[in-house]
Amino acid sequence: MQKQKRTGLIFFPAFDWAISATHPEREERLLYTRDQFFEEGVLDLPEIAEYPPVVATPHEITRAHFCIPGVDYQTVTAHRIAAGAAIHLSDRIMSGEIKNGFAIVRPPGHHAMRVVRGNRGFCNINNEAVVVEHLRRVYGVKRLAIIDTDVHHGDGTQEIYYHDPDVLFISFHQDGRTIFPGTGFMDELGGPTAYASTINIPLPPGTSDKSFLYVMENLILPMIKDFDPEFVINSAGQDNHYTDPLGDMLITAQGYARMTAMLQPDLAVLEGGYAIETALPYVNLAILLAMAGRDYSYVTEPDYQPDKFREDASVTEYVHKTVAHLQNVWKNRLAKQQSQLVSHDKYYYRQKNIHYDTENFEEKQLEKVRVCAQCPGHIMLDSHMPQTTGIKECGRVLAVSVHNRCCEYCIAEAWDVYKNAKKDERYSYVYMQDKTEDTFLTFRRKDGREWQTEG
Amino acid sequence: MYIGIDVGGTSTDAVLLNDNKVQATTKVFNLPDDLLGSLLQALDKILQDVPVAKIERVVLSTTVITNWIAENKQDSVGLILMPGPGRKLQQYRKADVHIITGAIDYRGREIIPLLEEEILDTIKALKDKGYNKVAVIGKFSPRNNTHELQVMKIIKKHQPKWLIELGHIAGGELNFPRRVANTLLTCATKEKYQSFVKSIRAALKARNIVAPVFIMKADGGTMTLKNSECSPVETIFSGPAASTLGVQSLTPAGGTSLVVDIGGTTTDLSLILSGQPLLSSKGVLLGDQLTQVRALAVKSVPIGGDSVLEIIGKELIIYSERAGQPYCLGGPFPTPTDALNVMGLTGLGDSDKAWEAMQLLGWKLNMSPVEMARKAINLMVDMIVTEIEKMFLEWEQEPAYHTWEVTQKRKIRPQNVVGVGGGAVGFIPKIAVRTGGTPVLLPYATVANAIGAVVAKPTLQITLRVDTEQQKISIAETGYQSKLAQPDLDEQQVLALAKSELINRATSMNIDDDISAVEVLRQDVFNIVRDMVTTGKIHDVCVQTVRGIHCHVGVGG
Repeated sequence: MQKQKRTGLIFFPAFDWAISATHPEREERLLYTRDQFFEEGVLDLPEIAEYPPVVATPHEITRAHFCIPGVDYQTVTAHRIAAGAAIHLSDRIMSGEIKNGFAIVRPPGHHAMRVVRGNRGFCNINNEAVVVEHLRRVYGVKRLAIIDTDVHHGDGTQEIYYHDPDVLFISFHQDGRTIFPGTGFMDELGGPTAYASTINIPLPPGTSDKSFLYVMENLILPMIKDFDPEFVINSAGQDNHYTDPLGDMLITAQGYARMTAMLQPDLAVLEGGYAIETALPYVNLAILLAMAGRDYSYVTEPDYQPDKFREDASVTEYVHKTVAHLQNVWKNRLAKQQSQLVSHDKYYYRQKNIHYDTENFEEKQLEKVRVCAQCPGHIMLDSHMPQTTGIKECGRVLAVSVHNRCCEYCIAEAWDVYKNAKKDERYSYVYMQDKTEDTFLTFRRKDGREWQTEG
Repeated sequence: MYIGIDVGGTSTDAVLLNDNKVQATTKVFNLPDDLLGSLLQALDKILQDVPVAKIERVVLSTTVITNWIAENKQDSVGLILMPGPGRKLQQYRKADVHIITGAIDYRGREIIPLLEEEILDTIKALKDKGYNKVAVIGKFSPRNNTHELQVMKIIKKHQPKWLIELGHIAGGELNFPRRVANTLLTCATKEKYQSFVKSIRAALKARNIVAPVFIMKADGGTMTLKNSECSPVETIFSGPAASTLGVQSLTPAGGTSLVVDIGGTTTDLSLILSGQPLLSSKGVLLGDQLTQVRALAVKSVPIGGDSVLEIIGKELIIYSERAGQPYCLGGPFPTPTDALNVMGLTGLGDSDKAWEAMQLLGWKLNMSPVEMARKAINLMVDMIVTEIEKMFLEWEQEPAYHTWEVTQKRKIRPQNVVGVGGGAVGFIPKIAVRTGGTPVLLPYATVANAIGAVVAKPTLQITLRVDTEQQKISIAETGYQSKLAQPDLDEQQVLALAKSELINRATSMNIDDDISAVEVLRQDVFNIVRDMVTTGKIHDVCVQTVRGIHCHVGVGG
């Protein structure tokens, strides 16, 4: 008899780590999920294999991020374990040992952007991006999709892959006009080199399972089918749940399980979800069972009734309109001319004001992207924090990122930018992330030292 | 003087320890259906000319429970389950499952109340089918046992003579399916086990031995014979634990050893890390049933000295089933024991027969009996070494829920490879070479079980959970649950409480003399925060008696 492949699970509740004693991201967050998992005996199921978490190396993190001034300053062990757990599961999936994996880890990561100056929306390190870069580098995976099902817009993941045509990023979330981080609108569709590889589906407060699954079936699944990724990651935030204190949506554990069964992600990574008693034990269990192909139909919240939530007709109508609009965008995406999107310029510019809500400071960033007809181009990020002083500041920095598919002209130009910036006294740190060679350099002006993270 | 007795499936072994030295050992083949007779024979052999008044302690280890379960000789039990929302256990093997309404959540709050009528119907249904033993198990009952207690009360009222076992007492850890197994097995073996205990008492009384009697548990500790009557499942798999402890007592303190116990049908692997046997992070697997019984990490490989060897095509195969004695002892098929005999690595059996066995195998491959024997031994070593490597990998793959656990992970390989059991002599040096350890062959290797029993000490563990918001306190191992006596407890007070509970329990079990110190296995505290306000704390503390053995054993007269 052919042995069925199992679902890998890494459960890392970080029972000895919190942002602060009463912060939502505290030791207690996954305590009841652990209780539910243990009591249900799911770790004994033949379909589930539990793995230990592993610590991600600075090199693995640097593939996705520019940590200012360095990885050690921006991360604690818990961050590296959460990212390492996701990497470890992706390795097991690629080796064929397991069919899919669920990393129930904290802290989360989907608000962490390419440049990391501090903690945003409880996140320092983008666990999904670390996995994407790992899969590209180690296994040569070419096309990937990240489906973000957290109630908040996955603005960090979007920012990292905004100019990457090889990564399809789809986020559905509560409308940014009503919730943190206030972004994720339908017109955010990716840069000129990666048009429509970013898709945002803002949903009105009060959306229930019915519309949630409608979006999945009529929009997300067809887009994934067209994009044809080799690997699908689900940023499995659970704050769309009807009891979540931060969100206003009406999704149930059953809704999450059905959505997971439809999406069939290779890897799911826990993101937000702060209804730690009323949602997480049930939603995590339902998702895990759905991934393992086990019966999840009895996994319900204590107060669940099948017809508990009647979605307002206006909500349903709004969702259908949103889906129709985006279906249209998707259908016509190939007709868009790159030259038109960049106004016939050689570079695409974006000015970003990035707010770090946890410690309350602002980063100003100028993003300059080489728009190349041959390749995804390279990205230059000029970052500073005008209102902040002290160690946090680290002055103005320049960071250059070279996509793994960059053409030789773009690579050469990127290295010129890096070398010139090293001579430019305005920058206290200069960074180079060359993914074609897996080479990551940091230059510190203070003592003129330059170093490389080891692979 | 101490007596250790191992009641196995085929033989009863006994040792007499005097002043930390082995004074006498014996191996008595079991008389069919006469446990008392076998025990008396074994006692008489080791007690020749010994004044029985000098016996200070008797410790037993046994596989009888394991064997009853393996042979399906346990009593039939009706199951009443309250699984609530989540996974349903509509079927539990061949058991008669009755699911009733009622549910508790992870904090011990009632989600769905019981329905008395439904319970009455269930009792009637069980009665009609002729049951008089019932196991009642609720999901999360260790957090709140009121449903289980209520169901028991109702059953008692209508069927006062039924034997009723409750989940929170038989299996207090969080794992509902394993709790079902524990409770079911406890209920199914209790009566039989009481007659086993009776035979032991009768044998000791007949020889005027009045010393306290203990029985080994799967975790390598002991409990009093009296206490074991309440939880016979604790004694399952005490055999492998006993042999590991035997090795611990026969090797220098503090070392790291891999214990390879090669028996007739199985090879048991276990680990002693820095002088302490490694405990399994999960409960015992009994047949195909996962239980909550705490045990030493013992990996059983289904090959041994009596396994059948056969040539299929050009391949040499070892079958995991045993088909009787080795060929050299009059059995039907060639076995690894025959190979050992040919190579001069065992004195067991008739060597002409052994050569004949190897010749039978070898001619198909055009190999001489010696070549064939070497090949068979190498194959057996290959298989055992593969399992050893897997075991180390599995041990390194244990999950971790704290950052400190992840950063402290280390890789360990054994210094010593210690052989126990009949087949060990021939295989251990080869296994040691392959795993990079020093081969060690012990004196008294054939009665290591009984020696392990004699040096074993009582072990006791208390997992205390305090929820200051729900004002609840509970102890997993005893099923104790109560209101919190004072409104708040800090970490120090919780720890002190756990320690005093441990000592109290030891006193009530008559093992307090053996408790030298208490160690803290785990202490977690969780702030409960609701609407940005801290509303309480959940404390989770686990303490145990310091594990160890009575003495290291020397070679005696």
